[in-house]
Amino acid sequence: MTDTPIIVARGVTRRFGGLVALDGVDLDVPRGIVQAIIGPNGSGKTTLLNALSGASHADAGSICIDGKEIFRLKPHRIARLGLARTFQNIRIFSNLSVLENVKVAAACNTPASLFNIMAGNARQRQSEAEIERTAREALQIVGLSGRTGDRATQLPYAQQRLLEIARALASKPSVLLLDEPAAGMNMTESMTLLGTIAKLRASGITILLVEHNVRLVMGISDRVVVLDFGKKIAEGAPAEVQRNPLVIEAYLGRRHRHA
Amino acid sequence: MKHPIPLVLCAAVTLLLPAATHDGYIIQLLNISILNAIVVLGLNFATGWTGQINFGQAAFYGLGAYTTAIATKAGLPWITTPVLSALVVLVASLALGLPTLRLRTYYLAMTTIGFGEIVRLIIVHWEPVTGGTSGLRAIPGISVFGFGPQGQIQHYYLLVAALALAAFIGTRIRKSSLGRAMIATKDSEIAAEQSGVDTTRTKLLAFMIGAVYAGLAGCLYASSIRFISPDSFSGVQAILLMTMLIVGGMGSIIGCIIGAVALTILPEALRFLGQWYLVLYGLGVIAVIALAPGGLASIASVIRLRQAGGR
Repeated sequence: MTDTPIIVARGVTRRFGGLVALDGVDLDVPRGIVQAIIGPNGSGKTTLLNALSGASHADAGSICIDGKEIFRLKPHRIARLGLARTFQNIRIFSNLSVLENVKVAAACNTPASLFNIMAGNARQRQSEAEIERTAREALQIVGLSGRTGDRATQLPYAQQRLLEIARALASKPSVLLLDEPAAGMNMTESMTLLGTIAKLRASGITILLVEHNVRLVMGISDRVVVLDFGKKIAEGAPAEVQRNPLVIEAYLGRRHRHA
Repeated sequence: MKHPIPLVLCAAVTLLLPAATHDGYIIQLLNISILNAIVVLGLNFATGWTGQINFGQAAFYGLGAYTTAIATKAGLPWITTPVLSALVVLVASLALGLPTLRLRTYYLAMTTIGFGEIVRLIIVHWEPVTGGTSGLRAIPGISVFGFGPQGQIQHYYLLVAALALAAFIGTRIRKSSLGRAMIATKDSEIAAEQSGVDTTRTKLLAFMIGAVYAGLAGCLYASSIRFISPDSFSGVQAILLMTMLIVGGMGSIIGCIIGAVALTILPEALRFLGQWYLVLYGLGVIAVIALAPGGLASIASVIRLRQAGGR
């Protein structure tokens, strides 16, 4: 069982009007690795993440997480099955505190009962205490423990990205999708982020990483998938993929080869 | 509690207010403002926290009031009326919310406007039961096994207690995972979903809890004011309730109360201005929205910010 890939996607297709954003993409992600998805602008990386997380459903195909078919499930159902994500354009909850942002996801698998909330009984206090503990742990992992009481919007940009990661972690996912987590970060911040990703990998979480910065990706990924015009054009270890002529062409264009 | 001193001060003023005036008209006005505050607190769940535009709150208020009036006039004991009123609005809000809350914000605005109009038309035209445009009078008062408040001042204290309970439950919800899910749904529906929040369920719950607040306030309205007419629960009232929420401070429990009390009393206090009252009222609302977008409840923090900026 542990040998089967944690994500098995087959023939994932997504059309926007006449544009085929994803064209029958197959994807296998083995357990516990860092898998990168790279590709030029508009190659379908984020569309693929959206299809996996249910944010914007694929039109056709099949997607299994941990052996469970999630195709066309609502995103919260997918989240509860153990798939969490962050966003390319930061989407934190601006009217909540840093801690509360993370608590939202920490409550992922403990649905609130209105009766318990109104009664304020022991069960309610216990579940809130548990949510708080999970949330604080997640904030600790990304190094935001010192800012729990601040409004989320008071955090600087790079820390808002970390907050999104903490929020994703709080739902205790087995798969974590990171959509350009280093965007807008400086060198030091990116390095810290890489350290955090390595830590998460070591804790057994499978990480699917969409990243524009190819250099950043190559250092940390175990495997790389390359998309171009909605199709998978290459797959393998980072070094292999880098030498692949199709990949070089996709990134640099055909003329480069003739020059 | 973060601000114990202002809170104790507010409580003291609230409790001593009836001693300062024996004018029945003023106490009656205060009683209505407290009832409105409960309705606005209810509106805050769906609109202030969850970000769904709800123009049906006045209709739920009316449904609760008419259910109670009709039931007690038919001879049912008062004790059954909160339950009946709550049941009626629960069914109505479920029927209304279930199909529309899967959709985006503005669909709820459309359907609740329509719903409000339907409720008003039923009340106006079902004369034998609802009394039509002239309303229902001499509604039996609150009575639990023969005990009940006598006179406006006792009603005042009862209503203050009801408001305190409504605010207390609102605070509990705000501090629970349900309250956080509501605000998360407003801030980013997709991020909330991806964090495991069932946003459709959250929106529906917020809408229904709010409806129950309005229904129970309606029940108290009918049996403490003892007279109801369709005007009190019209589309204009729905917009007024929304204005109270915005002026008081969306998402703030204290703001809801301040907004409801201020906008219930102000029109009466400004009555001497005659028609000019509407001009002043409009300007006041615009001024609050422009100068303190967070509502009256945020003014304290706005002033603090200005001072900090000036230094």
